[in-house]
Amino acid sequence: MKRNMYTRITIVLFIIGLMIAVQYNTIQKPAERDTRDIWAIREELAQEKQRHSALLAEIRSLHEVVDRYEQSEKVNQQAALNETLNRLKLQAGLTEVIGPGVVLRVEPAPELIEMGYEIKEISPDLLTQLLNTLFKNNATNVSIDGNRVVQTTAIRDINGKTTVNSIPLSSPSFEIFVGTSDYKAAQKMYNSLQASTFIDSFYLDNFNLVIEEPIEQLQIPAFDQPLTNDYLAEVKKGD
Amino acid sequence: MWLPFLGLVFGLALGLLTNIQIPSMYENYLSIAVLAALDTLFGGIRAQLQQVYDDKVFVSGFFFNIVLAAGLAFIGVNLGIDLYLAAIFAFGVRLFQNIAIIRRILLTRLDEKRHKRTKTSIE
Repeated sequence: MKRNMYTRITIVLFIIGLMIAVQYNTIQKPAERDTRDIWAIREELAQEKQRHSALLAEIRSLHEVVDRYEQSEKVNQQAALNETLNRLKLQAGLTEVIGPGVVLRVEPAPELIEMGYEIKEISPDLLTQLLNTLFKNNATNVSIDGNRVVQTTAIRDINGKTTVNSIPLSSPSFEIFVGTSDYKAAQKMYNSLQASTFIDSFYLDNFNLVIEEPIEQLQIPAFDQPLTNDYLAEVKKGD
Repeated sequence: MWLPFLGLVFGLALGLLTNIQIPSMYENYLSIAVLAALDTLFGGIRAQLQQVYDDKVFVSGFFFNIVLAAGLAFIGVNLGIDLYLAAIFAFGVRLFQNIAIIRRILLTRLDEKRHKRTKTSIE
């Protein structure tokens, strides 16, 4: 009889324990609710789709490279290797690029100079922000005052001078060349820059940002300093 | 004696390790059910100490209280009256009363034991 009682109490206590644990779980870690509406989900889907197509394009181009290697295996392997090397150099910004693009001119606001305002160096933050926006708008190659922007480019203040690739800008007047994949993209870039708040932001720093009409043949200089790879190591043969 | 405690620990461990969760809309019901279950548990302990413990009363009370509390809350939600407050109030008061009675009984027993010990030492 007594044993029976203990069994029942055990079962009841087991249920109580389980209930308390479940309640604790529910309060402590509520399942995250999806509060996005249809529009937000569609936008996310569009983004994913874009990424999907970009990945597919990359796969296709790599397939082409493989095909070319296979074809040229017998004929001329060196030519294929050279081609790949040139493509990678182009990607890294080590070659001069001629193509459609937009020229931005940063110059001190003349009316402010006449009024005796002191024009200071352009701030690296503003320049970085502009650069981010350019790349967001699908810029392929950018050079600031003749300095090609590559993966390792740093825009920073060194002793009061704003530098790109550690080279001081010929402030206050310089040009930014923005290369795009095609002329249409250049037009799009031009329009989005015109609509952005950058002209006002530059004027706050006493600069005029002049966005020139897109041109077909824009020459963007190559990165002329040695590229340093601190974190890359050469793969040994046979690995 | 240790078996019921083991049951409680086992239930807690199972719940925490499996990470079971219930939809947030049923959270209220479960919290009231937990309260009802705790009330029944302490009622059972009190009854055992007062030597009026009845197995049937305990088990039926456990399930009936849970169902009643959750049902009351459910009706309250549907009628727009916060009836679950009634359940919380009733169970809360009873819980405190039961615990108070348990405390008193235990204190009395402790006193009795001490009394006995002093008596035997005097003799």
